[in-house]
Amino acid sequence: MHKLKDQQGQDNNHNNKTSGRSGHRRAIFYDKAAKIIILSGGIATIIAVLGILAFVFYEAYPLWFGSKAELDTKLDASEIIVNRQPLLIGIDEYQEIAYVVTDSATIDFIDLKRNSFIKSISIAGLEDEKIISVSRSLSNYLIGVGTASGKIGMLKLNFTIRFLQTGERIIEPEAEIQNVLLVDSLKRAVTKVAYRLDYDSQPSFAAVVNDSELILYSQQRKRSLLEPTQVQEFLTTVGDFPQNSISAIELDDFCEKLMIGTTDGNLYYYSVKAKDKPVLIQKIMVTESNKTSVTALSFIIGDQTLIVGDEKGNVSSWMRILDDKSVYGWKMVRSHKFNSLSSSVTQISPSPRNKSFIAAGKDGIINVNHLTSERTLLELSAKSLPIKDVAFSPKSNGALVLYEDNSLAKFEIESPHPEITLKTVFGKVWYEGYQKPEFVWQSSGGTDDFEPKFSLIPLIVGTLKGTFYALIFAIPIALLGALYTSSFSHPRIKNIIKPTVEIMAALPSVVIGFLAGLWLAPLLEKILPGVILIFILSPLMVFGGFFLSKKIPQWMNFKLKPGFEIILIVPLLLIGIQISLWLGPFFEQVVFGGDYRQWLLSALNEQYDQRNSIVVGFAMGFAVIPIIFTICEDSLSSVPQHLTSASLALGATRWQTALRVVLPTASPGIFSAIMIGFGRAIGETMIVLMATGNTPIMDFSPFNGMRTLSANIAVEIPEAPYHGTLYRVLFLSATLLFIMTFFVNTAAEIVRQRLRKKFMDV
Amino acid sequence: MKKSFKSGEIFIWFTGLGLGVSLIMISGLLVLIFINGSDYFLPASVINVTKTDGTVLLGQITRTEEVSKYDLPEELKDETYKRIQLKTGNREIQGFDFIWVDERDIRETKYPEDAVVIERLEFGNFYGFIKEIKVNGKVKPDSDATFSSILTGYLNKTSNIRKEINAVEKSEIGNLNYQIEQLRLKIKKIEYKYRGREEQAASEIRLLEQQITEFDEAYKTLRHKVDSLSSIGKKFTVVCTTASGIEKEIPLMSIVRVYSPNEMTFFSQIGFIAAKLWEFVFEEPRESNTEGGVFPAIFGTVMMVLLMSIAVVPFGVLTALYLREYAKQGAMVRTVRIAVNNLAGVPSIVFGVFGLGFFIYFVGGTIDQLFFPERLPSPTWGTGGILWASLTLALLTMPVVIVATEEALAAIPRGIRESSLALGATKWQTIRRIVLPAATPGILTGLILAMARGAGEVAPLMITGVVKLAPSLPLDSNFPFFHLDRKFMHLGFHIYDVGFQSPNVEAATPMVYMTTLLLIFLVVLLNITAMVIRARLRKKYKSSTF
Repeated sequence: MHKLKDQQGQDNNHNNKTSGRSGHRRAIFYDKAAKIIILSGGIATIIAVLGILAFVFYEAYPLWFGSKAELDTKLDASEIIVNRQPLLIGIDEYQEIAYVVTDSATIDFIDLKRNSFIKSISIAGLEDEKIISVSRSLSNYLIGVGTASGKIGMLKLNFTIRFLQTGERIIEPEAEIQNVLLVDSLKRAVTKVAYRLDYDSQPSFAAVVNDSELILYSQQRKRSLLEPTQVQEFLTTVGDFPQNSISAIELDDFCEKLMIGTTDGNLYYYSVKAKDKPVLIQKIMVTESNKTSVTALSFIIGDQTLIVGDEKGNVSSWMRILDDKSVYGWKMVRSHKFNSLSSSVTQISPSPRNKSFIAAGKDGIINVNHLTSERTLLELSAKSLPIKDVAFSPKSNGALVLYEDNSLAKFEIESPHPEITLKTVFGKVWYEGYQKPEFVWQSSGGTDDFEPKFSLIPLIVGTLKGTFYALIFAIPIALLGALYTSSFSHPRIKNIIKPTVEIMAALPSVVIGFLAGLWLAPLLEKILPGVILIFILSPLMVFGGFFLSKKIPQWMNFKLKPGFEIILIVPLLLIGIQISLWLGPFFEQVVFGGDYRQWLLSALNEQYDQRNSIVVGFAMGFAVIPIIFTICEDSLSSVPQHLTSASLALGATRWQTALRVVLPTASPGIFSAIMIGFGRAIGETMIVLMATGNTPIMDFSPFNGMRTLSANIAVEIPEAPYHGTLYRVLFLSATLLFIMTFFVNTAAEIVRQRLRKKFMDV
Repeated sequence: MKKSFKSGEIFIWFTGLGLGVSLIMISGLLVLIFINGSDYFLPASVINVTKTDGTVLLGQITRTEEVSKYDLPEELKDETYKRIQLKTGNREIQGFDFIWVDERDIRETKYPEDAVVIERLEFGNFYGFIKEIKVNGKVKPDSDATFSSILTGYLNKTSNIRKEINAVEKSEIGNLNYQIEQLRLKIKKIEYKYRGREEQAASEIRLLEQQITEFDEAYKTLRHKVDSLSSIGKKFTVVCTTASGIEKEIPLMSIVRVYSPNEMTFFSQIGFIAAKLWEFVFEEPRESNTEGGVFPAIFGTVMMVLLMSIAVVPFGVLTALYLREYAKQGAMVRTVRIAVNNLAGVPSIVFGVFGLGFFIYFVGGTIDQLFFPERLPSPTWGTGGILWASLTLALLTMPVVIVATEEALAAIPRGIRESSLALGATKWQTIRRIVLPAATPGILTGLILAMARGAGEVAPLMITGVVKLAPSLPLDSNFPFFHLDRKFMHLGFHIYDVGFQSPNVEAATPMVYMTTLLLIFLVVLLNITAMVIRARLRKKYKSSTF
């Protein structure tokens, strides 16, 4: 310090000699400049550091934004398509070309950009027929038609995309007529149709004649090793329905499930896997009463869930689950209920991209719903006229509507995160293929029709589980150790212990995690009974050592100085551990009957996983012990000396003083130590990543693993597309982690500061 | 007895139990890692095992354990048997390199003097016996006296050739490739700039393309040089036999080293250990990171920590100065202080997520759009890199530096400051000449602790730019020398990756322990330095600390 002062003194002299006033001015200038720099730098850093929370939150926030829609184009189709009645519409991927199927057996293409007519293709074989029923597949390009005289037609649309040299995109629409045939020899009107191709590209076509008779036309490819592949044709009548009772039909993409809705509110579920022998699996009431007719049926992408719309405007989803009581092992149940429309549901159109669908009402109102979240994303209305048809665009970012007056309206839809609501993130949701509503985290699957499951509850439970096992291991050890170090140990011992514990705190968690996963987990599986024994034998060893140490002085001239007990305790512990491991197999034989894993399975119905909560608890305990220890020890040692001295002077023993004076005074500090340890355990990533199996399960068994919020982020964020739903959900879990730890730490910090003040006052 | 309960003497022993467990845990961990890590460089003897069924195995014992009683037949349940794990190498011949052998199945064991271990560039180790050395297909004299010296001589020769090839490939061809890549990007940039009117830039592009062809020519000559070198090297081979008598000709070019552990003297063992350590620290990894060294990981870790320090010190010190010297001490500053303190407890993965979202996607993505639109959609800055990782870690360690600096500032007695001000110094002069020099050890402590934390952190790095194998270091001889957009390797991630993602975990285990040992050594060294500095500092200001 003296040297520094001298230097400054020299500097001042130097300044005085050479520059005088200007030096002074410069000093003041520098002073001001420094002030500005420090102020702005300091404040900017603080803002930046605190801005982390804001940013993480900001990235997650758009999850809660609703969807947006905009009426993009409106045109009158009757001006473009003259003398023909449009029945069905569709749109291409780029939302530039619309197609219209009309009653005079034509398909007309309209350029939506220029509102102009492109071309009309008439369906060969149905030239003079009148089409009265139409259907469109999920993919948007497969069209089935039925005529007033018992004929059906199957069509496929193609949109060929070419790019010109200039980069301009040219879309050329084409229609391929696949098949036209007569299904009803009596030439009655085909009033409802449903047309699909199965995975073999073989057609199945369900046609309803006169609303009363259901005819299934299908082809099946027969493969055999010996003969060449043959295509078999079937024409089957399905079921026996009363006059005018069928009000809606739907076929799935595998051509296996045929759904029939009737005017008395029933749903008939037929399996048409065997094309010549349709089987009725279930008949179930899907509306409120037998007076309410089913008006629209449609499968959602994946063909697991059927959306049912009725006359009263109710929209619900029905799903097939396993059922022991049913003969065929399946039954349909209602999984979700959506906002009702104010009038009869005329049309349901599923999205070809995700689990959204459109329900259109007679009064011209369109609801865009999402299956998983049960959320009505949008309520659209361009005209209050009955809707003839609605089609989702292939990319699900637009919808085309055909009204009764033959006018068309196109909506642009922006719905980035339709599957997220508070309920899907934190509540139980009934997912497709599940027997009941559950908390599930499964962010991605192998197929396009996968239903993402974003429940954070299993992850939060996993986080708390890991933290719990870490803390029940760490708290006693750290507290006892800190108490011993601060109150009973000799200063010379203390000077060794404290740096050792600091080194323990500095160990990178990747090291602990690696040892836990690769060394401890396989070892523990072998010696678990011995490890259980350690907890019983080691304390006994230490107590035994204590009593011996009381006797030893009488035998030999040796006395253990107070404060040096640890020198004896460590070897005793080691001996205790060695004996426990040695006795482990006998212990296992006696208590668990030979194999503890077998015993766990039979007695507790628990499966022992190698990387389980015990391993995590031990490893994370390793990381948490030094933190709790250090803070505890700090607050215990800073209990004012005069308090302990007074207690000892009054005749209290070391232990009584520690228990009655030191511990109560420092208890807030111990609380804050535990809180900070808790915060560390919540956010620990590498240890859980390496020491658990990372399966997001919901249970508290110590013998299996978990997936925590932090490990989940580390595992999934590299694959999450920027600003996609998964990305934002992971940011949401980061926000949760941030908030949890921040609050816990703040509470601890405030308590600690109060305590410090208290000690200063005492 | 009663007395001990009453006085509580026994409970003191009970509390000691907690401390004892902690001490055993930490020392056990260090010992465990040290013992396992030493396997990496200690040359274990080669054992020749003849099994009762006549199979002959040759290898090094890697582990010995008791046979689990569930694997024993009923009548032997009460016996204890051992089994050994042998590293038998020769992966390309037998398809595995580790095998468990039960004690009961062993008929005979011996330690043949002439058994050799050949470390190769691919397929792992070879265990066997050397039969003859061939040069250009001709057998070289097989007189015992000169045998090993001939082999050593040839090995030196081939390793020199390999080094030369490596040097040409790494530096010269690497440079050429880099320049060609730069030219390609330049062309892309021009094409992007003159979109739609390419003819205007045609001459410029043609010029650049000409340069590329020139470089291509240069590349071809270099390639030719490499090819001729390797064809010379390929002439030297060694014919070996395995324990079961299969003959195998190994080109010397693919041999790293040959040694016979069973006849090693004490000094040659030391030499071997030194060579292994040298290889570990200064060479690149081979065989998907399970063999060779960790030099790129050490380099990446050090460079990342240094970059982090450059970012964290000025801002940390500025903030601490502001909080302690300039800001009005009140509720506001107290709140900020608590908030900053608590950031130290925010999970590191949250910082990682922030780094990914803010630095990589937002800042990096914006830079790409503004300055490198021609390279899109392949990102330049909009992907993980050493700069982003360092900045993320700088944020993570900022609280450590701020808190340490603040503590150091607070520990300086008021009197010193006041006497400076009383002498007419301005506030800044006081800070610069009096306060900061006195606080330097404290700041240094904070920095060292931050470095230790940064060196050991893995989770945030995993998502901001660490890779398992980086093709090139972030620092090389190509302008602008520092390539801060490059991905890098890191010791901590190396442990995770090799230990958990490696296809051959058994073979990788010694490597992981060794890397762990190195990382712990680094972190502990930094921490001890910080502790020593802090202890000195405490002594100096003993009167004023709380």
